Amino acid sequence: MSESTATSVPAAATTGRRLPSPFTALVGYTLRACLPVRRWFGVLLPCAGALLFGWLSAVDSRSAEAAFGDVAEIGLFGLVLPLTCLVIGDAVLGADIRAGTFPLTWLSPVGFGTIVAARWLGGWIVALVSLVPALVLATVVAGIPEGATAMAIAGAAGSAAYIGLFVMIGTAVRRAAVWALAVVFLGERLLGGVLSGIAQISPMWESQQAYAGLADDHGGWRLLRDGTPNGWSAVVRLAIVAIVTLALASWRIRHLKPTGGDE
Amino acid sequence: MTAAAPEPTQPGTPASPSGRVEMFPPPPPPPPAAVPLDPAFVSDATVAVRGASVWFGHKVALTNLSCSFGPGVTGLLGPNGAGKTTLMRAIVGLLRPNEGTVAVLERDPRTDRRVQRAVALVPEDEAVPAALSARQLVRYTAALHRVGGRGLPDRCLGTVGLLDVADRKVRGFSKGMRQRAKIAAALVTDPSILVLDEPLNGADPMQRVALIDLFQTLGSQGRTVIVSSHVLHEVERLAGRQIVIIRGRLAAAGDHRAIRDALADRPRSVLVRTPEARRLARHLVALDAVRGVTVDGNTVVVSSPRAGELAELLPAAAREAGARLHEVRPLDDSLESVFRELLR
Repeated sequence: MSESTATSVPAAATTGRRLPSPFTALVGYTLRACLPVRRWFGVLLPCAGALLFGWLSAVDSRSAEAAFGDVAEIGLFGLVLPLTCLVIGDAVLGADIRAGTFPLTWLSPVGFGTIVAARWLGGWIVALVSLVPALVLATVVAGIPEGATAMAIAGAAGSAAYIGLFVMIGTAVRRAAVWALAVVFLGERLLGGVLSGIAQISPMWESQQAYAGLADDHGGWRLLRDGTPNGWSAVVRLAIVAIVTLALASWRIRHLKPTGGDE
Repeated sequence: MTAAAPEPTQPGTPASPSGRVEMFPPPPPPPPAAVPLDPAFVSDATVAVRGASVWFGHKVALTNLSCSFGPGVTGLLGPNGAGKTTLMRAIVGLLRPNEGTVAVLERDPRTDRRVQRAVALVPEDEAVPAALSARQLVRYTAALHRVGGRGLPDRCLGTVGLLDVADRKVRGFSKGMRQRAKIAAALVTDPSILVLDEPLNGADPMQRVALIDLFQTLGSQGRTVIVSSHVLHEVERLAGRQIVIIRGRLAAAGDHRAIRDALADRPRSVLVRTPEARRLARHLVALDAVRGVTVDGNTVVVSSPRAGELAELLPAAAREAGARLHEVRPLDDSLESVFRELLR
């Protein structure tokens, strides 16, 4: 320790930058600490995949609307959206808990709801600057620039719900990635494909229906599904999914016993 | 009571010889005898652990542990796996005892988030957000605790000697530097209760001295400082009061002399090197405090059930035998063996 070291606790200080509010600090921490380079690679790879899906649709011999309808259903809403949100949603809280660094946040007077909301917001910001532009670009590349706004809204609402879902899974189970994949492919894709009740609370189906309803005049009607809300109703449904999953995540971390990394 | 004072009479007592019933107020109750406080407890406790038991599946970490901590530095001593970390995690609220209670400032640290304003933990494990710089780590903690001072994070980093490297990522830090970064992050919250789990691990001798000074200063400021270690002499230097935990149970408590005394009366083997080994062995074997003696060249290994008594008798025995003692040292003085004996 240097000679200048003082063996006392500072009582007051007058210089330096102003400290942010707890909520801002939590969002900042999420952006700085929760998404290291490897995670960013995991985010940007499916975003590049979205552009490839758009290009694949453009080279299809069918009409742009028909080709993009298939690509959007299977590629964009069925793969890119859930996989990117899985990487982000797990990073912002579940990975922090597993790494043993979460006690740093848990051992503070900040409410659990604030912690979860700030972490989710940090993750959503990442999705808004990476995933949503990729989805919009894919729509443009596919030759349907008129559907870009609808895709942006659907992507933003879908990622909000998905990140909430994966934040909740990250607080509930240790093997969060496995459980999240099971929820997406077994729960949403398989069961949601045949059961409207599940599709109505599925971020995958509801984000697709949001796009279908909002881009109705630009080929979106091809994706419409009976018995499932679409357009703005789907956006509201996605917002409700996000709120409920975040509330469950808050309840869960209240009962969490965060461990250190060595345990 | 003086001789002139009237003899107190209980109400309703028989009349005096004069036939007059003398009513006197009942005597004041005798002052309570000064009951010596159990050394595991302090009168001005800020942290109270009552009958705490913690288990993880089939593994029992704490068993019916009761003790308390107050202002000043208290050492938490025990071998690896004794339950020190579990107790500390229960104190800060990271886990709830399966049985019993832990109260911090008379509140439940698990459910009452206000406790977190007063408590700070420096964990032993290596888990720190590696992507942050030391300054970012301390500022993050400060912001969560809403401590207002703008320069406070830097002053705390200066206190632990990390100001020069404050903008370096924690991932590039040595173990000792990480530990100091965590200490700075704990100090910035200005805690009245500071819980430090093996804080001197990885620190070089200079840093150890500085950190021990820091902890003692914090204790002298009226803060409750709980420091765990498995190194006996380190805790002796650091803390006036110690609590020893072994296999999840309270094994000893009190100041370091009391603990030393408890340790002195345990069986141990002592090696004595002397040119007059056989002569000394003959004298030693006659002592009650000696259970067995082995001679090998100029070395005598003495086995004793009462090491403290042996230490007093050995010089006299050597004098009687005319033996010059070149070396006397215990053979089984590792802390683990000390703790094992203490538990019996």
